[in-house]
Amino acid sequence: MTQHDPALLSAALAGAERAMNQAIALSPTSHQALGGLSGTLLGVEVTTLDLTLYIKMVDATEVRLMTHCEDQTDAFVRGTLEDFGALATSEDPAAILINSSIELQGSSHSLIALQQVVSRMDIDWEAPLVDALGDVMGHQIAEGLRSVFRWGEGARASLKRQVSEYLLEEGRLTPPKAELEHFYDAVQSLAMRVDRAQNQVEKLLAKAALKRETQ
Amino acid sequence: MSEDRANTAEDNDNTTDFGFTRVDRDAKAGMVRGVFDSVASRYDLMNDLMSGGIHRLWKRFTIELCAVRPGQTILDIAGGTGDLAARFSRLVGQDGKVILADINAAMLEVGRDRLIDKGASDNIEVVQADAQYLPFADNSIDCITIAFGLRNVTDKAIALQSMLRVLRPGGRLLVLEFSKPTSPLLGKIYDQYSFQILPAMGRLVAQDADSYRYLAESIRKHPDQETLLAMMADAGFVESRYHNMTGGIVAVHQGFKA
Repeated sequence: MTQHDPALLSAALAGAERAMNQAIALSPTSHQALGGLSGTLLGVEVTTLDLTLYIKMVDATEVRLMTHCEDQTDAFVRGTLEDFGALATSEDPAAILINSSIELQGSSHSLIALQQVVSRMDIDWEAPLVDALGDVMGHQIAEGLRSVFRWGEGARASLKRQVSEYLLEEGRLTPPKAELEHFYDAVQSLAMRVDRAQNQVEKLLAKAALKRETQ
Repeated sequence: MSEDRANTAEDNDNTTDFGFTRVDRDAKAGMVRGVFDSVASRYDLMNDLMSGGIHRLWKRFTIELCAVRPGQTILDIAGGTGDLAARFSRLVGQDGKVILADINAAMLEVGRDRLIDKGASDNIEVVQADAQYLPFADNSIDCITIAFGLRNVTDKAIALQSMLRVLRPGGRLLVLEFSKPTSPLLGKIYDQYSFQILPAMGRLVAQDADSYRYLAESIRKHPDQETLLAMMADAGFVESRYHNMTGGIVAVHQGFKA
């Protein structure tokens, strides 16, 4: 168990659990997939925060987050906050699991399945607004929010593209991706050649030592 | 106030603590009953006000430490208004059983009504019982919790032995109780809060400052973390340990029956 105050952790987890269950309730399309994960228990250790938590899929509509659990986990993953951020947002979680520094014990199947359910969640934000404000007002506000999100998403993508272009073309501050990959390949090839040369030298030295002993 | 904290290595004479007052042993249970009769109807509201809602987090962590499994039998002593019992009811499922026990009938009545309102009464039994003399068979309970109740028990050693008796081998006891803040500064702030603000809140919300003054005093007289740990070991619990919460204002002690 971590050294954090259990009450503080419980507060954070209670808030996160409530938000997750709210999101699940507003995403009926994910219920079937979550139902298939019922009973699954995942353990997550975030080394950056010295924090271990457990995620239990209770049923199709409920997730439980815990700081302490004595049951056998289906999968236990250990990594940094950055690793988990990359895993959560990745379109190819299997690749992240293989290539990042995340350590996995147990089956990766349930972890990847959960990641995919979360990333494909289609949350119907309009439903609670309509419930609270009525059909007309609720729909209008939801449309307004959707426009704001669309604009935000477009602005984010555009900013990312422009920053990337500036760094590459205008500022010449970073090399193009292809050039970088070529450089990595060259470094890797050099490292392998050095390894081979070192092995050859060791072999020759061993041979010379043997020759000296026999003389 | 820490020097006032009694180690409650149960008193040798025929008196015991009732807050900062010494009273006859036989009278304490009745006096505690009087306090809780007075606050029963607003107990949860006052708990929320007194702790800023943090008592829910302390209880949440305690429930996690119970590691309850479906089909188990859980005894919640001093369970009062039934908030832990409602949660346990879901965790043990239809094959399990939760026993909500309290010495105080008024608290149990509030708890039972609340559980019925929540639709959580199917696998819950409500029993009026004294923690010192639990009316259950030996080795019959998988897990016992007592949240904010042990300090009101007249003889804590007898109560701990009674709990050990009814636990199954391998079963566990969780004691959630106010304890001693780990930082002296926090201790001073907490004393001010307990003896100035808490009775005032009791007067405003429950029209009963005296009962809430007793609650503050009884917290100060309750054994600190290490003393309670030693008492659990004396009673026969093994693998005992505790977790401080909110700077030691509250601690949850855990022990197992060998």
